[in-house]
Amino acid sequence: MGEKLEEKDHFRAPVADTFRRKSPFSQLLEHMGKVRECIDILGDGLVGYYKGDYKDFPVLAKKVSEIEHEADLIKSNLRNHLPNSLFMPVDKGKFMWALREQDAILDHAENLVRMLDMRHTKIPKELQDVFINHAKLVMKTVEAMEDAVCNIRDLVETSFVKREREQTKQFIYKVHEFEWKADKAKYEATKGIYKFEKKLDPMDVYHLLKIADWVDDIADHAENVADWLRAMIAK
Amino acid sequence: MDPTFILIGGSTVAIAFYVAWSIGANDVANSMGTSVGSKAISIRQAILIAGIFEFAGAVLIGIHVTKTIQNGIVDPALFSADPSIYVYGMLAALLAAAVWISISTYFSLPISTSQSIVGALIGFGVVAAGVSAVSWEKIVQIGESWILSPIAGAALAFFIFLIIKKVIFDTSKPFESTKKAIPFFTFALVSVILFSIFKSLECTDFPTICFSTALEITLVISIISAVLSYVLVNRYNPGKMETDQDVYRSIEHVFIYLQIITACFVAFAHGSNDVANAIGPLAAVINVLQSGAIESVIGVPLWLVVLGGAGIVVGLATWGYKVIGTIGKKITEITPTRGFSAEFSTALVVLVCSRLGLPVSTSQVLVGSVIGIGFAKGIVAVDLKIIKRIMTCWIITVPVSAATAAIIFICLKAIV
Repeated sequence: MGEKLEEKDHFRAPVADTFRRKSPFSQLLEHMGKVRECIDILGDGLVGYYKGDYKDFPVLAKKVSEIEHEADLIKSNLRNHLPNSLFMPVDKGKFMWALREQDAILDHAENLVRMLDMRHTKIPKELQDVFINHAKLVMKTVEAMEDAVCNIRDLVETSFVKREREQTKQFIYKVHEFEWKADKAKYEATKGIYKFEKKLDPMDVYHLLKIADWVDDIADHAENVADWLRAMIAK
Repeated sequence: MDPTFILIGGSTVAIAFYVAWSIGANDVANSMGTSVGSKAISIRQAILIAGIFEFAGAVLIGIHVTKTIQNGIVDPALFSADPSIYVYGMLAALLAAAVWISISTYFSLPISTSQSIVGALIGFGVVAAGVSAVSWEKIVQIGESWILSPIAGAALAFFIFLIIKKVIFDTSKPFESTKKAIPFFTFALVSVILFSIFKSLECTDFPTICFSTALEITLVISIISAVLSYVLVNRYNPGKMETDQDVYRSIEHVFIYLQIITACFVAFAHGSNDVANAIGPLAAVINVLQSGAIESVIGVPLWLVVLGGAGIVVGLATWGYKVIGTIGKKITEITPTRGFSAEFSTALVVLVCSRLGLPVSTSQVLVGSVIGIGFAKGIVAVDLKIIKRIMTCWIITVPVSAATAAIIFICLKAIV
């Protein structure tokens, strides 16, 4: 009988039970909002961290964890309320995969900030610019993904007309473009690490490689969201 | 007149009024819920227009279904030897329906008042005069209409929404397309409404006009409405139109006005179909009490339809506002373009059923229409579980009402 949250109403109105009161798409967008919130603070936080400013990082790590938890609640609420009887204009499986990948961004962000907070790894001066460039491109990939996801509003309103599907695809191309650039930046960063490996402490090398990898994972998952979105709206 | 007859007549009137009240209180959300939900009109305005159109539908066209309930299901001629049995039976059926409607309303079961009254009549007929007293042919026809009417609603809503999608959303400049399309939509809407009302007026107590006059009046009013809508939509200032969302919001805003017209149409159709559930049995009782015998040709006095219409209006004025308010908040997902499609098809299907004398459920036709829009990708996340719930409810409603009516009838006969 729909969501059993409100008190019992004493009247018959089957039309109110004919659809889910909270659209799964608006919940996906709500979840997207959490991703955005996280990426905003993570982007600035990473730049500061790379420059050697660890002062506010513990606060930031805590904040990211909180956001991740809030997003988790949205995700599980959405997942628990998609019964077989629910008819959606898109494939429910693909929809769930898009959500799962969107959530993976937050999981990775959380793991990343925890790891960074555990050991304050100093980035060599020579590599700072490459690392910052990489982080910025990763954040841009997520922002491009956000544009693609937010176009769902228009898709829903127009009941998935061709024009809006094309527009979503345009946004998706942007995601791929940034992800590709981020990949190249990561390659540069890795190359730089190996270049200075003799000068660096082995533990630092290990961590620098790990940071580059983990930051890049975020862009990979943003790309996966875009791919599932594309599969979802394909006719 | 016999004092027991006065007592019986009085209580039948009271129960019939209660049923009408309950129908008005509950079902008004069907017609007005979406308009209030989209904030097109206030609750007070909704009550006012629903009242006017429910009453008009009941008084002008309510007679077709009333006749079915009155003598289409149980043949009154079988009781000409002892008319009082017939009177008790009709009273029992009405009371049984009232009880079941009250219980299911309390527990929010999606039952139909039409289905309870039909079930109750079957129960009384079988107990009082045997299985053959019930016109099973008519029952099968009504049963088919219960299945077909929601399907027809779904199909019609599906196509109406597809047209909106094609001519408006699926164009390069959707708002410009809306401006061009609105006069055509208005013309189609007004002409279908007027023509279906004229057609339904046939065989009622009201003066009917011949086919060609009806067609002319329909055409003239529709063209005037179309021109008016053209002027209004071109004068409408949509405000800032920077993002796609702004454009779609303006389109929905324009559709609010068409949706209000369809909401009135639903109220009218609902009044025309559902008033019979309350006054059908009452009409049967009053006829016998007035003449002291069962007459072969039974009419429905106008004051009865007025009484039923008044009951519905009182219901929506005293309790309906609460229902509209709650429902309005729950169905905000149905935007004006969707509401327009769903209500247009619901009203048309219900009105055609009224004309054919078939008691159907407006709520269930509306559910069908909403599902139809869901299949046209117009509403995200349609919960098809409701189909099973409705089916279960109507499978329960008929036997429960029948059994209750039978028991009440036996008790009444034993007492009096």
